[in-house]
Amino acid sequence: MCYNTFRYSDGRQTAFDGGMRMIRLDGVSKRYGTHRALQDVSFTVPKGQILGLLGQNGAGKTTAMNIMTGCLAPSQGTAVIGGYDVMRSPREAKRLIGYLPETAPLYDEMTVRAYLRFACELKEVRKQAIAGHVEAVGEKTGLTDVLDRKIGNLSRGYRQRVGFAQALCGSPEVIILDEPTTGLDPRQSAEMRALVKSLAGQHTVLFSSHILSEVQALCDRVIILHHSRVICDSAMQALRCGERRLRAVIACGEGSLLPRLRQLPSVSRVEVERGGREGITQVVMTVEEGQNAERELFTLLSGLQTPLLRLAPVEDSLEDVFLRATMDENEE
Amino acid sequence: MGAIYRREMQCYFYTPAAYVFMGVFLALSSVFFGFGNLGARSSDLMALLDRMSYIWMLLSPVLTMRLIAGEKQQRTDQLLYASPCSLSAQVAGKYFAACTVLLITVLATVMYPLVVAVYGKLYVGETLVGYMGLILQGCAFLALDLFISCFTRNQMTAAVAGVGANLLVWLADAMAQALSGSFAARALNFISLYRRFAPFARGQLSLSNALYDVLFIFIMLFLSVRVLDARRWSEA
Repeated sequence: MCYNTFRYSDGRQTAFDGGMRMIRLDGVSKRYGTHRALQDVSFTVPKGQILGLLGQNGAGKTTAMNIMTGCLAPSQGTAVIGGYDVMRSPREAKRLIGYLPETAPLYDEMTVRAYLRFACELKEVRKQAIAGHVEAVGEKTGLTDVLDRKIGNLSRGYRQRVGFAQALCGSPEVIILDEPTTGLDPRQSAEMRALVKSLAGQHTVLFSSHILSEVQALCDRVIILHHSRVICDSAMQALRCGERRLRAVIACGEGSLLPRLRQLPSVSRVEVERGGREGITQVVMTVEEGQNAERELFTLLSGLQTPLLRLAPVEDSLEDVFLRATMDENEE
Repeated sequence: MGAIYRREMQCYFYTPAAYVFMGVFLALSSVFFGFGNLGARSSDLMALLDRMSYIWMLLSPVLTMRLIAGEKQQRTDQLLYASPCSLSAQVAGKYFAACTVLLITVLATVMYPLVVAVYGKLYVGETLVGYMGLILQGCAFLALDLFISCFTRNQMTAAVAGVGANLLVWLADAMAQALSGSFAARALNFISLYRRFAPFARGQLSLSNALYDVLFIFIMLFLSVRVLDARRWSEA
Protein backbone atom coordinates (compact mmCIF):
# COMPACT_ATOMS: atom_id res chain seq x y z
CA MET A 1 0.00 0.00 0.00
CA CYS A 2 1.30 3.39 -0.89
CA TYR A 3 1.06 6.84 0.60
CA ASN A 4 1.26 10.14 -1.32
CA THR A 5 1.28 8.03 -4.44
CA PHE A 6 2.92 8.88 -7.78
CA ARG A 7 1.69 7.21 -10.92
CA TYR A 8 4.14 5.95 -13.56
CA SER A 9 3.45 6.04 -17.26
CA ASP A 10 2.36 2.39 -17.25
CA GLY A 11 -0.08 2.93 -14.40
CA ARG A 12 2.01 1.61 -11.52
CA GLN A 13 2.34 3.79 -8.46
CA THR A 14 5.06 4.60 -5.99
CA ALA A 15 5.17 6.70 -2.86
CA PHE A 16 6.82 10.01 -1.93
CA ASP A 17 7.27 11.79 -5.15
CA GLY A 18 7.19 15.22 -3.60
CA GLY A 19 10.18 17.48 -4.22
CA MET A 20 13.20 16.71 -6.37
CA ARG A 21 13.65 12.98 -6.92
CA MET A 22 17.27 11.99 -6.45
CA ILE A 23 16.75 8.25 -6.93
CA ARG A 24 14.14 6.69 -9.16
CA LEU A 25 13.77 3.00 -9.89
CA ASP A 26 11.16 2.27 -12.51
CA GLY A 27 10.09 -1.35 -13.01
CA VAL A 28 13.56 -2.73 -12.28
CA SER A 29 13.99 -6.50 -12.54
CA LYS A 30 17.12 -8.62 -12.46
CA ARG A 31 17.35 -12.25 -13.52
CA TYR A 32 20.24 -14.69 -13.29
CA GLY A 33 19.18 -17.49 -15.59
CA THR A 34 15.89 -18.69 -14.14
CA HIS A 35 16.48 -17.06 -10.74
CA ARG A 36 14.77 -13.71 -10.22
CA ALA A 37 16.82 -11.53 -7.92
CA LEU A 38 14.57 -8.49 -8.30
CA GLN A 39 11.05 -8.23 -9.68
CA ASP A 40 9.46 -5.05 -10.95
CA VAL A 41 10.82 -2.78 -8.22
CA SER A 42 9.74 0.86 -8.42
CA PHE A 43 10.26 3.66 -5.95
CA THR A 44 11.60 7.19 -5.75
CA VAL A 45 13.62 8.93 -3.06
CA PRO A 46 13.33 12.71 -2.72
CA LYS A 47 16.32 14.91 -2.00
CA GLY A 48 17.51 14.89 1.61
CA GLN A 49 15.58 11.80 2.69
CA ILE A 50 17.12 8.87 4.58
CA LEU A 51 15.51 5.72 3.23
CA GLY A 52 15.91 2.34 4.90
CA LEU A 53 15.89 -0.74 2.71
CA LEU A 54 14.88 -3.77 4.75
CA GLY A 55 14.74 -7.39 3.83
CA GLN A 56 15.91 -10.85 4.71
CA ASN A 57 19.04 -12.36 3.17
CA GLY A 58 18.50 -12.84 -0.55
CA ALA A 59 15.56 -10.41 -0.67
CA GLY A 60 17.30 -8.33 -3.32
CA LYS A 61 18.66 -5.37 -1.32
CA THR A 62 22.26 -5.65 -2.53
CA THR A 63 21.15 -6.33 -6.10
CA ALA A 64 19.00 -3.18 -6.03
CA MET A 65 21.92 -1.14 -4.71
CA ASN A 66 24.34 -2.58 -7.25
CA ILE A 67 21.93 -1.63 -10.03
CA MET A 68 21.57 1.92 -8.69
CA THR A 69 25.34 2.34 -8.60
CA GLY A 70 25.90 0.88 -12.07
CA CYS A 71 27.83 -2.17 -10.79
CA LEU A 72 25.11 -4.38 -12.28
CA ALA A 73 22.87 -3.89 -15.27
CA PRO A 74 19.12 -4.43 -14.81
CA SER A 75 17.42 -7.09 -16.95
CA GLN A 76 14.45 -4.71 -17.21
CA GLY A 77 13.54 -1.20 -16.13
CA THR A 78 15.63 1.87 -15.41
CA ALA A 79 17.55 3.31 -12.49
CA VAL A 80 17.83 7.10 -12.54
CA ILE A 81 20.08 9.12 -10.22
CA GLY A 82 19.60 12.88 -10.10
CA GLY A 83 17.84 12.76 -13.47
CA TYR A 84 20.54 10.66 -15.19
CA ASP A 85 19.89 7.10 -16.31
CA VAL A 86 22.68 4.98 -14.79
CA MET A 87 23.01 2.85 -17.94
CA ARG A 88 22.72 5.62 -20.53
CA SER A 89 24.62 8.42 -18.77
CA PRO A 90 26.80 6.47 -16.33
CA ARG A 91 29.43 9.15 -15.85
CA GLU A 92 26.94 11.89 -14.93
CA ALA A 93 24.92 9.55 -12.68
CA LYS A 94 27.95 8.10 -10.90
CA ARG A 95 29.34 11.56 -10.14
CA LEU A 96 26.33 11.94 -7.84
CA ILE A 97 26.84 8.64 -6.00
CA GLY A 98 28.92 7.62 -3.00
CA TYR A 99 28.71 3.88 -2.40
CA LEU A 100 29.78 1.74 0.51
CA PRO A 101 29.22 -1.91 -0.46
CA GLU A 102 28.62 -4.66 2.10
CA THR A 103 32.37 -5.41 2.15
CA ALA A 104 34.24 -2.10 2.28
CA PRO A 105 36.37 -1.87 -0.91
CA LEU A 106 39.77 -1.23 0.68
CA TYR A 107 43.35 -1.63 -0.51
CA ASP A 108 45.27 -2.94 2.48
CA GLU A 109 48.67 -1.79 1.22
CA MET A 110 47.63 1.87 0.98
CA THR A 111 47.57 4.46 3.75
CA VAL A 112 44.18 5.94 4.60
CA ARG A 113 45.28 9.28 3.12
CA ALA A 114 46.49 7.74 -0.15
CA TYR A 115 43.28 5.71 -0.41
CA LEU A 116 41.04 8.75 0.13
CA ARG A 117 43.13 10.72 -2.38
CA PHE A 118 42.54 7.92 -4.87
CA ALA A 119 38.80 7.95 -4.13
CA CYS A 120 38.75 11.75 -4.68
CA GLU A 121 40.56 11.36 -8.00
CA LEU A 122 38.06 8.70 -9.09
CA LYS A 123 35.21 11.07 -8.17
CA GLU A 124 36.88 13.79 -10.23
CA VAL A 125 37.52 16.20 -7.35
CA ARG A 126 39.71 19.12 -8.53
CA LYS A 127 43.40 18.36 -8.01
CA GLN A 128 44.02 21.51 -5.95
CA ALA A 129 41.10 20.72 -3.64
CA ILE A 130 41.96 17.08 -2.93
CA ALA A 131 44.30 17.55 0.05
CA GLY A 132 41.81 19.78 1.89
CA HIS A 133 38.91 17.52 1.01
CA VAL A 134 40.70 14.44 2.37
CA GLU A 135 41.38 16.29 5.66
CA ALA A 136 37.73 17.38 5.90
CA VAL A 137 36.34 13.90 5.18
CA GLY A 138 38.86 12.40 7.62
CA GLU A 139 37.73 14.81 10.32
CA LYS A 140 34.04 14.17 9.69
CA THR A 141 34.50 10.41 9.97
CA GLY A 142 36.95 10.50 12.90
CA LEU A 143 39.95 9.29 10.90
CA THR A 144 42.29 12.24 11.45
CA ASP A 145 44.59 10.26 13.78
CA VAL A 146 44.98 7.33 11.40
CA LEU A 147 45.27 9.15 8.06
CA ASP A 148 48.89 8.08 7.64
CA ARG A 149 48.45 4.49 8.81
CA LYS A 150 48.18 1.53 6.45
CA ILE A 151 44.62 0.31 6.01
CA GLY A 152 45.72 -3.31 6.50
CA ASN A 153 46.77 -2.47 10.08
CA LEU A 154 43.45 -0.91 11.11
CA SER A 155 40.72 -2.47 13.28
CA ARG A 156 37.40 -3.56 11.79
CA GLY A 157 35.66 -0.42 13.05
CA TYR A 158 38.22 1.90 11.51
CA ARG A 159 38.21 -0.03 8.25
CA GLN A 160 34.47 0.46 8.01
CA ARG A 161 34.93 4.18 8.69
CA VAL A 162 37.49 4.37 5.89
CA GLY A 163 34.95 2.74 3.56
CA PHE A 164 32.36 5.26 4.72
CA ALA A 165 34.81 8.15 4.23
CA GLN A 166 35.42 6.90 0.69
CA ALA A 167 31.67 7.13 0.01
CA LEU A 168 31.72 10.76 1.16
CA CYS A 169 34.62 11.76 -1.11
CA GLY A 170 33.51 14.31 -3.68
CA SER A 171 30.48 15.26 -1.53
CA PRO A 172 28.06 13.18 -3.60
CA GLU A 173 24.36 14.03 -3.47
CA VAL A 174 23.34 10.39 -3.07
CA ILE A 175 24.95 8.08 -0.55
CA ILE A 176 24.22 4.37 -0.74
CA LEU A 177 25.23 2.23 2.23
CA ASP A 178 24.87 -1.55 2.15
CA GLU A 179 24.62 -2.85 5.71
CA PRO A 180 27.29 -0.46 7.04
CA THR A 181 27.11 -1.74 10.63
CA THR A 182 27.47 -5.46 9.88
CA GLY A 183 30.29 -6.98 11.91
CA LEU A 184 30.78 -3.95 14.14
CA ASP A 185 30.57 -4.10 17.93
CA PRO A 186 27.73 -2.13 19.63
CA ARG A 187 29.88 0.95 20.22
CA GLN A 188 31.19 0.99 16.66
CA SER A 189 27.63 0.49 15.37
CA ALA A 190 26.43 3.46 17.42
CA GLU A 191 29.26 5.59 16.02
CA MET A 192 28.42 4.52 12.48
CA ARG A 193 24.74 5.35 13.06
CA ALA A 194 25.73 8.80 14.32
CA LEU A 195 27.77 9.32 11.15
CA VAL A 196 24.83 8.35 8.95
CA LYS A 197 22.49 10.55 10.98
CA SER A 198 24.85 13.49 10.45
CA LEU A 199 24.21 13.27 6.70
CA ALA A 200 20.48 13.97 7.08
CA GLY A 201 19.27 16.91 5.04
CA GLN A 202 22.54 17.47 3.15
CA HIS A 203 22.55 14.15 1.29
CA THR A 204 19.99 11.66 0.09
CA VAL A 205 20.83 8.41 1.87
CA LEU A 206 19.78 4.87 1.01
CA PHE A 207 20.63 2.54 3.81
CA SER A 208 20.14 -1.21 4.01
CA SER A 209 20.17 -3.22 7.20
CA HIS A 210 18.95 -6.36 8.93
CA ILE A 211 18.73 -4.46 12.20
CA LEU A 212 15.23 -3.09 12.43
CA SER A 213 15.83 -0.81 15.41
CA GLU A 214 18.69 0.78 13.48
CA VAL A 215 16.45 1.58 10.53
CA GLN A 216 13.78 2.86 12.89
CA ALA A 217 16.28 5.18 14.59
CA LEU A 218 17.83 6.55 11.39
CA CYS A 219 15.36 6.57 8.55
CA ASP A 220 12.55 8.85 7.46
CA ARG A 221 11.03 6.10 5.43
CA VAL A 222 11.32 2.36 4.98
CA ILE A 223 10.92 0.00 2.04
CA ILE A 224 10.64 -3.71 2.73
CA LEU A 225 11.83 -6.11 0.05
CA HIS A 226 10.67 -9.68 0.27
CA HIS A 227 11.16 -12.42 -2.30
CA SER A 228 12.67 -9.82 -4.66
CA ARG A 229 9.66 -7.50 -4.54
CA VAL A 230 8.65 -4.36 -2.67
CA ILE A 231 5.97 -5.37 -0.17
CA CYS A 232 5.91 -2.24 1.95
CA ASP A 233 6.80 1.40 1.25
CA SER A 234 5.97 3.72 4.09
CA ALA A 235 7.03 6.77 6.06
CA MET A 236 8.36 5.90 9.49
CA GLN A 237 5.47 7.73 11.13
CA ALA A 238 2.91 5.82 9.12
CA LEU A 239 4.21 2.28 9.27
CA ARG A 240 1.14 0.27 8.61
CA CYS A 241 1.78 -1.59 5.42
CA GLY A 242 -1.76 -1.10 4.15
CA GLU A 243 -3.56 -1.68 7.38
CA ARG A 244 -3.83 -0.28 10.89
CA ARG A 245 -4.75 -1.77 14.21
CA LEU A 246 -7.11 -0.60 16.93
CA ARG A 247 -7.21 -1.76 20.54
CA ALA A 248 -10.73 -1.67 22.04
CA VAL A 249 -11.76 -2.31 25.67
CA ILE A 250 -15.45 -3.17 25.85
CA ALA A 251 -17.59 -3.77 28.95
CA CYS A 252 -19.12 -7.03 27.74
CA GLY A 253 -18.36 -10.77 27.75
CA GLU A 254 -16.56 -11.98 24.63
CA GLY A 255 -18.96 -14.84 23.84
CA SER A 256 -21.67 -12.82 22.08
CA LEU A 257 -19.46 -9.89 21.10
CA LEU A 258 -16.67 -11.51 19.08
CA PRO A 259 -18.83 -12.91 16.23
CA ARG A 260 -20.41 -9.46 15.77
CA LEU A 261 -17.02 -7.72 15.73
CA ARG A 262 -15.74 -10.15 13.09
CA GLN A 263 -18.76 -9.33 10.92
CA LEU A 264 -17.89 -5.62 10.75
CA PRO A 265 -17.15 -4.88 7.05
CA SER A 266 -13.89 -2.96 7.61
CA VAL A 267 -12.40 -5.38 10.14
CA SER A 268 -10.19 -8.10 8.66
CA ARG A 269 -8.99 -9.73 11.89
CA VAL A 270 -9.93 -9.70 15.59
CA GLU A 271 -7.50 -10.91 18.25
CA VAL A 272 -8.54 -11.24 21.90
CA GLU A 273 -6.05 -10.09 24.53
CA ARG A 274 -6.41 -12.30 27.61
CA GLY A 275 -5.75 -11.41 31.23
CA GLY A 276 -8.40 -8.71 31.65
CA ARG A 277 -11.12 -8.53 34.29
CA GLU A 278 -14.24 -10.66 34.05
CA GLY A 279 -16.98 -9.06 31.95
CA ILE A 280 -14.43 -6.88 30.15
CA THR A 281 -13.22 -7.83 26.66
CA GLN A 282 -10.00 -6.42 25.25
CA VAL A 283 -9.46 -6.94 21.51
CA VAL A 284 -7.07 -5.81 18.78
CA MET A 285 -8.82 -5.27 15.47
CA THR A 286 -6.94 -5.14 12.18
CA VAL A 287 -8.58 -2.62 9.85
CA GLU A 288 -8.06 -2.03 6.13
CA GLU A 289 -6.43 1.35 5.47
CA GLY A 290 -8.99 4.03 4.58
CA GLN A 291 -11.94 2.26 6.27
CA ASN A 292 -13.87 3.90 9.11
CA ALA A 293 -13.97 1.04 11.61
CA GLU A 294 -14.48 3.43 14.52
CA ARG A 295 -17.90 4.47 13.18
CA GLU A 296 -18.96 0.87 12.59
CA LEU A 297 -17.84 -0.09 16.11
CA PHE A 298 -19.69 2.80 17.78
CA THR A 299 -22.86 1.97 15.81
CA LEU A 300 -22.63 -1.71 16.79
CA LEU A 301 -22.01 -1.05 20.48
CA SER A 302 -24.70 1.63 20.78
CA GLY A 303 -27.18 -0.83 19.22
CA LEU A 304 -26.15 -3.41 21.84
CA GLN A 305 -26.23 -0.73 24.55
CA THR A 306 -22.71 -1.83 25.50
CA PRO A 307 -20.22 0.75 26.86
CA LEU A 308 -16.91 1.22 25.04
CA LEU A 309 -14.32 1.85 27.76
CA ARG A 310 -11.33 2.61 25.56
CA LEU A 311 -10.42 2.80 21.86
CA ALA A 312 -6.86 3.61 20.74
CA PRO A 313 -4.60 2.91 17.75
CA VAL A 314 -1.88 0.30 18.26
CA GLU A 315 1.59 1.74 17.55
CA ASP A 316 3.45 -0.88 15.56
CA SER A 317 7.18 -1.29 15.94
CA LEU A 318 9.18 -1.82 12.78
CA GLU A 319 9.74 -5.39 13.91
CA ASP A 320 5.98 -6.02 13.99
CA VAL A 321 5.52 -4.52 10.56
CA PHE A 322 8.41 -6.46 9.08
CA LEU A 323 7.30 -9.78 10.54
CA ARG A 324 3.68 -9.24 9.60
CA ALA A 325 4.53 -8.12 6.09
CA THR A 326 6.86 -11.02 5.41
CA MET A 327 4.53 -13.52 7.12
CA ASP A 328 1.54 -12.39 5.04
CA GLU A 329 3.63 -12.78 1.93
CA ASN A 330 4.58 -16.33 2.88
CA GLU A 331 0.95 -17.19 3.59
CA GLU A 332 -0.03 -16.03 0.13
CA MET B 1 42.71 6.82 -16.22
CA GLY B 2 45.47 8.79 -14.49
CA ALA B 3 44.11 7.90 -11.04
CA ILE B 4 44.00 4.18 -11.88
CA TYR B 5 47.50 4.31 -13.38
CA ARG B 6 48.98 6.02 -10.32
CA ARG B 7 47.28 3.61 -7.93
CA GLU B 8 48.50 0.59 -9.84
CA MET B 9 52.05 1.96 -9.89
CA GLN B 10 51.88 2.51 -6.12
CA CYS B 11 50.55 -1.00 -5.68
CA TYR B 12 53.35 -2.54 -7.78
CA PHE B 13 56.01 -0.87 -5.67
CA TYR B 14 54.25 -1.11 -2.25
CA THR B 15 53.91 -4.88 -2.70
CA PRO B 16 56.52 -7.45 -3.80
CA ALA B 17 54.98 -7.86 -7.30
CA ALA B 18 57.26 -5.46 -9.22
CA TYR B 19 60.36 -6.44 -7.24
CA VAL B 20 59.78 -10.15 -7.84
CA PHE B 21 59.21 -9.54 -11.53
CA MET B 22 62.25 -7.30 -11.98
CA GLY B 23 64.51 -9.34 -9.70
CA VAL B 24 63.79 -12.70 -11.35
CA PHE B 25 63.94 -11.22 -14.84
CA LEU B 26 67.26 -9.50 -14.26
CA ALA B 27 68.75 -12.51 -12.46
CA LEU B 28 67.85 -14.88 -15.32
CA SER B 29 68.91 -12.48 -18.06
CA SER B 30 72.21 -11.88 -16.25
CA VAL B 31 72.82 -15.63 -16.21
CA PHE B 32 72.14 -15.76 -19.98
CA PHE B 33 74.41 -12.74 -20.54
CA GLY B 34 77.15 -14.22 -18.33
CA PHE B 35 77.24 -17.57 -20.11
CA GLY B 36 76.21 -16.49 -23.61
CA ASN B 37 78.25 -13.30 -23.97
CA LEU B 38 80.89 -12.87 -21.27
CA GLY B 39 81.76 -16.58 -20.98
CA ALA B 40 81.68 -17.13 -24.73
CA ARG B 41 83.40 -13.77 -25.45
CA SER B 42 80.56 -12.89 -27.87
CA SER B 43 79.31 -9.43 -28.86
CA ASP B 44 76.09 -10.88 -30.29
CA LEU B 45 73.21 -9.55 -28.22
CA MET B 46 70.48 -10.92 -30.50
CA ALA B 47 70.63 -14.37 -28.91
CA LEU B 48 70.32 -12.76 -25.48
CA LEU B 49 67.25 -10.74 -26.54
CA ASP B 50 65.73 -13.93 -27.96
CA ARG B 51 66.18 -15.68 -24.61
CA MET B 52 64.85 -12.67 -22.72
CA SER B 53 61.62 -12.90 -24.69
CA TYR B 54 61.16 -16.42 -23.26
CA ILE B 55 61.38 -14.95 -19.77
CA TRP B 56 58.56 -12.50 -20.58
CA MET B 57 56.39 -15.44 -21.45
CA LEU B 58 56.83 -16.99 -18.01
CA LEU B 59 56.88 -13.84 -15.89
CA SER B 60 54.34 -11.44 -17.41
CA PRO B 61 51.39 -12.99 -15.47
CA VAL B 62 53.13 -11.84 -12.25
CA LEU B 63 52.30 -8.28 -13.32
CA THR B 64 48.78 -8.91 -14.58
CA MET B 65 47.25 -11.56 -12.33
CA ARG B 66 46.22 -8.97 -9.74
CA LEU B 67 44.96 -6.32 -12.15
CA ILE B 68 41.39 -7.60 -12.56
CA ALA B 69 41.21 -10.91 -10.67
CA GLY B 70 42.78 -9.33 -7.58
CA GLU B 71 40.21 -6.52 -7.57
CA LYS B 72 37.42 -9.07 -7.70
CA GLN B 73 39.04 -11.21 -5.00
CA GLN B 74 39.35 -8.24 -2.62
CA ARG B 75 35.95 -6.88 -3.72
CA THR B 76 37.51 -3.54 -4.55
CA ASP B 77 36.08 -3.78 -8.07
CA GLN B 78 32.84 -2.21 -6.80
CA LEU B 79 34.72 0.97 -5.91
CA LEU B 80 35.84 1.25 -9.53
CA TYR B 81 32.56 0.21 -11.14
CA ALA B 82 30.58 2.71 -9.04
CA SER B 83 32.95 5.55 -9.95
CA PRO B 84 32.58 7.88 -12.97
CA CYS B 85 35.76 6.33 -14.44
CA SER B 86 34.79 4.31 -17.55
CA LEU B 87 35.69 0.65 -17.98
CA SER B 88 37.99 1.50 -20.91
CA ALA B 89 39.86 4.04 -18.78
CA GLN B 90 40.17 1.49 -15.97
CA VAL B 91 41.56 -1.18 -18.28
CA ALA B 92 43.90 1.29 -20.01
CA GLY B 93 45.19 2.68 -16.69
CA LYS B 94 45.96 -0.81 -15.40
CA TYR B 95 47.58 -1.91 -18.65
CA PHE B 96 49.84 1.13 -18.94
CA ALA B 97 50.98 0.68 -15.34
CA ALA B 98 52.02 -2.92 -16.12
CA CYS B 99 53.79 -1.71 -19.29
CA THR B 100 55.66 0.91 -17.26
CA VAL B 101 57.06 -1.77 -14.92
CA LEU B 102 58.07 -3.77 -17.99
CA LEU B 103 59.80 -0.73 -19.52
CA ILE B 104 61.68 0.00 -16.28
CA THR B 105 62.87 -3.62 -16.33
CA VAL B 106 64.00 -3.30 -19.94
CA LEU B 107 65.82 -0.09 -19.05
CA ALA B 108 67.76 -1.95 -16.37
CA THR B 109 69.04 -4.40 -19.02
CA VAL B 110 70.78 -1.56 -20.89
CA MET B 111 73.83 -2.49 -18.80
CA TYR B 112 74.39 -5.50 -21.13
CA PRO B 113 74.85 -3.44 -24.33
CA LEU B 114 76.99 -0.98 -22.36
CA VAL B 115 79.32 -3.79 -21.25
CA VAL B 116 79.47 -5.05 -24.83
CA ALA B 117 80.18 -1.51 -26.11
CA VAL B 118 83.08 -1.12 -23.66
CA TYR B 119 84.69 -4.54 -24.20
CA GLY B 120 83.61 -5.47 -27.72
CA LYS B 121 81.72 -4.20 -30.76
CA LEU B 122 78.09 -3.14 -30.32
CA TYR B 123 75.80 -3.11 -33.38
CA VAL B 124 73.64 -0.19 -32.26
CA GLY B 125 70.95 -0.35 -34.97
CA GLU B 126 70.36 -4.08 -34.66
CA THR B 127 70.33 -3.87 -30.88
CA LEU B 128 67.74 -1.08 -30.92
CA VAL B 129 65.54 -3.07 -33.30
CA GLY B 130 65.91 -6.12 -31.06
CA TYR B 131 64.90 -4.10 -28.04
CA MET B 132 61.90 -2.73 -29.92
CA GLY B 133 60.77 -6.27 -30.68
CA LEU B 134 61.36 -7.32 -27.08
CA ILE B 135 59.22 -4.47 -25.73
CA LEU B 136 56.40 -5.08 -28.22
CA GLN B 137 56.52 -8.76 -27.37
CA GLY B 138 56.31 -8.08 -23.63
CA CYS B 139 53.44 -5.62 -24.07
CA ALA B 140 51.55 -8.17 -26.18
CA PHE B 141 51.93 -10.78 -23.43
CA LEU B 142 50.72 -8.27 -20.83
CA ALA B 143 47.62 -7.48 -22.88
CA LEU B 144 46.85 -11.18 -23.32
CA ASP B 145 47.34 -11.89 -19.61
CA LEU B 146 45.20 -8.92 -18.58
CA PHE B 147 42.44 -10.34 -20.77
CA ILE B 148 42.85 -13.74 -19.08
CA SER B 149 42.67 -12.01 -15.66
CA CYS B 150 39.14 -10.79 -16.52
CA PHE B 151 37.75 -14.32 -16.38
CA THR B 152 38.54 -15.27 -12.80
CA ARG B 153 38.40 -14.07 -9.21
CA ASN B 154 41.48 -16.02 -8.20
CA GLN B 155 44.92 -14.53 -8.80
CA MET B 156 46.70 -17.89 -8.94
CA THR B 157 44.23 -19.13 -11.54
CA ALA B 158 44.84 -15.96 -13.54
CA ALA B 159 48.63 -16.48 -13.34
CA VAL B 160 48.60 -20.16 -14.34
CA ALA B 161 46.08 -19.57 -17.13
CA GLY B 162 48.20 -16.62 -18.27
CA VAL B 163 51.36 -18.74 -18.61
CA GLY B 164 49.33 -21.35 -20.50
CA ALA B 165 47.93 -18.75 -22.90
CA ASN B 166 51.40 -17.24 -23.43
CA LEU B 167 52.83 -20.65 -24.28
CA LEU B 168 49.99 -21.26 -26.68
CA VAL B 169 50.46 -18.06 -28.69
CA TRP B 170 54.26 -18.34 -28.45
CA LEU B 171 54.46 -21.90 -29.70
CA ALA B 172 51.58 -21.67 -32.15
CA ASP B 173 53.93 -21.82 -35.15
CA ALA B 174 55.62 -24.95 -33.75
CA MET B 175 52.19 -26.58 -33.54
CA ALA B 176 51.46 -25.34 -37.07
CA GLN B 177 54.37 -27.38 -38.40
CA ALA B 178 52.58 -30.55 -37.33
CA LEU B 179 49.51 -29.52 -39.31
CA SER B 180 51.35 -28.17 -42.35
CA GLY B 181 49.24 -26.92 -45.20
CA SER B 182 45.89 -26.95 -43.45
CA PHE B 183 43.75 -23.94 -42.55
CA ALA B 184 44.50 -24.59 -38.87
CA ALA B 185 48.22 -24.38 -39.63
CA ARG B 186 47.78 -21.02 -41.37
CA ALA B 187 45.68 -19.74 -38.47
CA LEU B 188 48.25 -20.91 -35.91
CA ASN B 189 51.03 -19.30 -37.91
CA PHE B 190 49.05 -16.08 -37.96
CA ILE B 191 48.58 -15.89 -34.19
CA SER B 192 52.12 -17.00 -33.34
CA LEU B 193 53.86 -14.22 -31.44
CA TYR B 194 57.24 -15.94 -31.85
CA ARG B 195 56.90 -15.71 -35.58
CA ARG B 196 56.31 -11.95 -35.22
CA PHE B 197 59.31 -11.57 -32.95
CA ALA B 198 61.79 -13.59 -35.02
CA PRO B 199 62.70 -10.79 -37.51
CA PHE B 200 63.38 -8.36 -34.63
CA ALA B 201 65.62 -10.99 -32.99
CA ARG B 202 67.67 -11.02 -36.22
CA GLY B 203 67.96 -7.22 -36.11
CA GLN B 204 65.49 -6.71 -38.98
CA LEU B 205 62.97 -3.91 -38.53
CA SER B 206 59.57 -5.25 -39.60
CA LEU B 207 56.74 -2.71 -39.62
CA SER B 208 54.11 -5.30 -40.49
CA ASN B 209 55.08 -7.40 -37.48
CA ALA B 210 55.21 -4.31 -35.25
CA LEU B 211 51.71 -3.37 -36.46
CA TYR B 212 50.53 -6.90 -35.78
CA ASP B 213 51.71 -6.62 -32.17
CA VAL B 214 49.99 -3.24 -31.73
CA LEU B 215 46.77 -4.62 -33.21
CA PHE B 216 47.01 -7.71 -30.99
CA ILE B 217 47.35 -5.44 -27.92
CA PHE B 218 44.40 -3.29 -28.97
CA ILE B 219 42.16 -6.31 -29.58
CA MET B 220 43.05 -7.87 -26.21
CA LEU B 221 42.30 -4.61 -24.36
CA PHE B 222 39.05 -4.15 -26.28
CA LEU B 223 37.97 -7.70 -25.43
CA SER B 224 38.89 -7.14 -21.77
CA VAL B 225 36.53 -4.15 -21.63
CA ARG B 226 33.78 -6.14 -23.33
CA VAL B 227 34.18 -9.06 -20.91
CA LEU B 228 34.01 -6.77 -17.88
CA ASP B 229 30.97 -5.00 -19.29
CA ALA B 230 29.24 -8.29 -20.08
CA ARG B 231 29.74 -9.45 -16.49
CA ARG B 232 27.54 -6.62 -15.25
CA TRP B 233 24.66 -8.36 -17.03
CA SER B 234 25.37 -11.87 -15.85
CA GLU B 235 27.09 -11.77 -12.43
CA ALA B 236 25.29 -12.46 -9.19
